[in-house]
Amino acid sequence: MTSQRVPTSSSPNHRIRLVRTFPRFTLSQRWEHAILMLTVAILLLTGLPQKYNTTVWSQVIISSPERLLLLQQIHHITALVLTALALYHLGKTIYLIFLRKLPGDMLPTVQDIRDSIHMWLYLVYLKKEKPAFGKYNFEQKVTYWFLFSSIAGMIISGFLMWFPEFFTRVLPGGVIPTAIITHSTEAVITAIFIVLWHFYHVHFERLNLSIFSGWLNEEDMRTYHTLEYNRLVREPHPKQDTGEGIS
Amino acid sequence: MIKHTPVIKLPGFSLVVGTIILLSLFLTTPTQASEPNQQTEEYCLSCHSDPGLEITLPSGEVLPLFIDASELQNSVHSPSGIECEACHTNITTYPHPEINYQTQRELSRVYYEACQKCHPTNYSLTLDSMHAQAAEAGNLNAPVCTDCHGSHYIHPPDQPRTLIPSTCGNCHTGIYEVYQTSVHGNALVQESNPDVPVCTTCHGVHNIQDPRTQQFRVDEPDLCASCHANQEMMAKYGLSADVYSVYNLSWHGLDVSVYEARWPTIQHSSAICSDCHGVHDIFKPEDPNSSVHPDNLLVTCQKCHPGVSPNWTDAWTGHYKVSLQRSPFLYYMDQFYTLFTQIILWISIIYVVLQFIRFMVDRVRRSL
Repeated sequence: MTSQRVPTSSSPNHRIRLVRTFPRFTLSQRWEHAILMLTVAILLLTGLPQKYNTTVWSQVIISSPERLLLLQQIHHITALVLTALALYHLGKTIYLIFLRKLPGDMLPTVQDIRDSIHMWLYLVYLKKEKPAFGKYNFEQKVTYWFLFSSIAGMIISGFLMWFPEFFTRVLPGGVIPTAIITHSTEAVITAIFIVLWHFYHVHFERLNLSIFSGWLNEEDMRTYHTLEYNRLVREPHPKQDTGEGIS
Repeated sequence: MIKHTPVIKLPGFSLVVGTIILLSLFLTTPTQASEPNQQTEEYCLSCHSDPGLEITLPSGEVLPLFIDASELQNSVHSPSGIECEACHTNITTYPHPEINYQTQRELSRVYYEACQKCHPTNYSLTLDSMHAQAAEAGNLNAPVCTDCHGSHYIHPPDQPRTLIPSTCGNCHTGIYEVYQTSVHGNALVQESNPDVPVCTTCHGVHNIQDPRTQQFRVDEPDLCASCHANQEMMAKYGLSADVYSVYNLSWHGLDVSVYEARWPTIQHSSAICSDCHGVHDIFKPEDPNSSVHPDNLLVTCQKCHPGVSPNWTDAWTGHYKVSLQRSPFLYYMDQFYTLFTQIILWISIIYVVLQFIRFMVDRVRRSL
């Protein structure tokens, strides 16, 4: 489960310092995040000028009908990439469930509610210590599930707006204005959430680049994911000779 | 004694001559002014009151030369002292000078120029009109002042107001007939309604523009809004004055307002008022003839959205604000998102700020 990394030492005597790292994200998950980050950024950059079309900055970007068309085309193509990503993510999850190999770390639990209450009490100085977290703390679960639901909403409403004539063959007409409200509002909420919540946690609270590198060092692991750290370091190595059973 | 010189006589002589010249001016001016204007008309009518007076133009057309004296007295010009020769500037004497107009139309197109002497503003406005363009393109039937206002028997053009559509209808017969059956035209004819638009309300008066241009298209919602967004006027007829503001929030309206504000001349086909409601054939939405009557709405939508299913019409929320009564689902969705945005925003802000405070306080404490 753990591995050793030897960072190039800058100390003059070239003393080798060993940093124990813990794998946190698979290569697939890291790629998924990178694509998600990129597509969401492009979608917001091409979508918000269309929503706020009366503002000056929007009018600078959308300076001609051709620009508007280009912006819409970029938005549509990026939306297709995001949809493919979402389908891949869902497909992989279903596949893992089928193989009974899905790690349940990201599933919300009652403990998360207790943790969040604990955390709020900690923040208002009613508790001395932060709660101890497992592999994913409740903040990270909130991030995941919020973005999960909002991206689901954006994709569904987006396609309804893109092909309204097609979808109203089956669905009632009222879904179209609903989709317009959803798409427009959800986008803004998502943007606010990413900037306030997610950026604070991964850039400001501490610079957490594990989603890019795939690993987390021992100190961060012990501080922020105590339960998971304890579980990993106490886990008996399968091939370790415990000395037991030898008479 | 020494002062006795002939020089003194000279000013006296010039005084006498000057006085005579000045007096002669006084003598001649009253004789010209004393000729009353009315006499011109009377003088002309001494021949032109003959109902049988006419000439045949080289084109073979018969040009009647009869003037009805009582009609002339009822017109706007004659009682104000504006007489025959104000317009017929080239005819001042009898026998008249030779006239060489080939056709009646040619005569009209020459004589109407006289209008600009007194009405220069309106005259120059007509030069910018669709009608002037048609004339320039060679259509000599394109109307000039006298075609709409009349020549000898001119009356206020909008008294009664029904006169306006019928004047335009002299040439635009088909449109006039359609207009008369419409909600606007019908109210004008049946009730002499003072609020409904007549031709000139939408098309302008003297500088009538081509209504088929993109500029006219994108300006059109504003044109309709000049009455339909008027709270006071719409209240009189139990109509909603929000139609325009709600339209501007719809996708059609949003598109059109962007194009109107920024690219008014670039062709764009997002629906404007007349695309759905009709142009001259506008009916009340509850009238079965109306293109937006529930029975006809799908066909109207299909003009731009070919092949859409009957569900499609429900995608249009009408010119109504989202309300619990009309569209409960949409209403709750709207309410939900309004609340949800606030909750997410404030929870994120409060949580992050608290975390930041705690983080900084701990840090400061540790460093102490």
